Amino acid sequence: MHSLRRKFIVLVLLTTLVALLVALGAMAGYDLRAYHRGLIDDLNTQAALLGRNTAAALTFDDPRVAQENLGLLRIRPQVAAAAIYTARGALFASYQRAGGGAIPARPEAEGERVEGRELLVFKRIADGGEMLGTVFLRADYGLVERVLDYAGIGAAVLAFSLLVAFLMASRMQRIVIHPILDIARIAREVVERSDYSRRAQKQSDDEVGTLVDSFNGMLAEIERRTGALEAANREVLRLNEELEGRVRERTAQLESANRELEAFCYSVSHDLRAPLRAIDGFSQALVEDHGASVPEGGRRYLARIQSSAKRMGQLIEDLLNLSRVSRGGLERGAVDLSAMAREVVAELQQREPQRAPEVAIQDGMQAMADARLVRAALENLLANAWKFTSKAEHPRIEVGILREDPGAATYFVRDNGAGFDMAYADKLFGAFQRLHAVNDFPGTGIGLATVQRIVNRHGGRIWADGQVGRGAAFFFTLEYGEDRRKEPRAMGSNR
Amino acid sequence: MFALALAFLLAPAGAAAQGDARAAEVRVKAAFLYKFCDFVEWPPEAFAEPGGAFTIGVVGADALADELAQVVARRSVQGRPVAVRKLKLGAPLAGLHMLFVGGRDGSRLPEVLAAAKGQPTLTVTEAEGDGDPGSAINFVLVADKVRFDVALPPAEAGGLRISARLLAVARKVVAGDS
Repeated sequence: MHSLRRKFIVLVLLTTLVALLVALGAMAGYDLRAYHRGLIDDLNTQAALLGRNTAAALTFDDPRVAQENLGLLRIRPQVAAAAIYTARGALFASYQRAGGGAIPARPEAEGERVEGRELLVFKRIADGGEMLGTVFLRADYGLVERVLDYAGIGAAVLAFSLLVAFLMASRMQRIVIHPILDIARIAREVVERSDYSRRAQKQSDDEVGTLVDSFNGMLAEIERRTGALEAANREVLRLNEELEGRVRERTAQLESANRELEAFCYSVSHDLRAPLRAIDGFSQALVEDHGASVPEGGRRYLARIQSSAKRMGQLIEDLLNLSRVSRGGLERGAVDLSAMAREVVAELQQREPQRAPEVAIQDGMQAMADARLVRAALENLLANAWKFTSKAEHPRIEVGILREDPGAATYFVRDNGAGFDMAYADKLFGAFQRLHAVNDFPGTGIGLATVQRIVNRHGGRIWADGQVGRGAAFFFTLEYGEDRRKEPRAMGSNR
Repeated sequence: MFALALAFLLAPAGAAAQGDARAAEVRVKAAFLYKFCDFVEWPPEAFAEPGGAFTIGVVGADALADELAQVVARRSVQGRPVAVRKLKLGAPLAGLHMLFVGGRDGSRLPEVLAAAKGQPTLTVTEAEGDGDPGSAINFVLVADKVRFDVALPPAEAGGLRISARLLAVARKVVAGDS
């Protein structure tokens, strides 16, 4: 959490520690070296002085005077022991502090050496180029104590300095770290609460100040953009809702209008049948009862009236069929499409026994559908195929399955009859849309519209493929009976 | 000490022991005489003759003079060769830098020393007794060891300066006026 703060303090303490260690080490090293040198110089000087003072005593063989000279060392308690040897190496005079160290029996070569915690010095006494004897000094060598003293002082100085440095760093880190921690805290709050209205406070004019400015600038930009985005989002949602409402409204209006239209169409068609039947009936009666008295031209007119009335009756029938297909419930059940197609073809054959087109119907075609409606669709499609192959040289009609998907299948009814121009493919399924002259192929132009409506009501799709003079193929999808046979039956038995 | 040790070594010689001790004493005194030169400063006029020898006169002690001649052979004092001269009583004392008058009896001393008075000559005697021998340095025997007394007035009268270091090892010192 406060790692930056801790790092800052650790940095300051480490720097202080290193600086102090280097300084203390250098000072201690210098001082110890100076102490060592100083002690040696001092003892050498002392030895030289002693030697000079004792030269006469040695010369005139007076150990008492030498003893007195050595006795003066009492004022230097640092010297533990001292001795003077003659030129021949015999002990001439000696001095020992209380508890002072041993005195060697023979002098060593001139020089100094450290022995434990003592410094030993041997110095020749010369006078006028003549070697008179040797001075020996044994003095306390306090280097270890001094090192320990230094270590103690160093530890105390270090502890105190680090304490002061720690206190100062703790106070000063506020100046450096606080603004950064401030930014970090605000950044965290912004992220946690998604509140982009927060701002960091600028406390200095340095890089941190620049950071605060940039950070605040970024926050302002994010706040502005977030606001704009939210507003735009709200607007989109509002528009969407409005649009949906309008669509629902329009759909309802359209459905209502459609229902009215269909009701109107049905009633008109229904009501038209009575007068048409009268026209047909009375024109029939006129021909039968008064045919003889009607001139030849009049009889021709009557025949035209009768045929027109029949055509109109057919039209009305088809329109009613179309209406019926759209109305009423959908009663799904297993339908054997293969058997149904054969029945329809048989009926067509019966109606026109003189024709003998080649008919191929795939076996075992099943579907889950309303039998009555599917039969109407098949009747229309097969009637079309029958009709449009009437002028073909080798008429051929095929019914089969194009492909099977899980739960559904695509069926086709294909012929090699008159066909159609693909440019008008989208007009095929509109009511009263005819691509051929009535004289060439009679029809009302309602059949395919009826078929499409039936397929659509089953949740399927219908489309066509064709070429002028080369035949046409109609494809439609229906739920495939094979897979679903059991389930709907079980449901049916429950009802 | 060396001399005494030597004396003790020679002691078993019986009747000759007394003579040997005497010989050791002479050798020590001869050595001391030579070493005194290092602790004494002569005035410049004592060496008026450039390259002249440092002259030591010996009166009434021929054995010591012979011994001294051996000691100073091939040695120098104040950068000069050393000459030892045996003198008779009454001989002229001019040009001497050091004068040794032998004999434990100090009766002859006044007349000999009077002749050397005022000259830059270090006078050394070996008189016994409590009386003032009148010389600058007088050998004495203390517990069979050769020691010496120093009297500053005779030396100062001749313009000689005796080092304090020599005074430190003297048995007793008679201070001068200054």
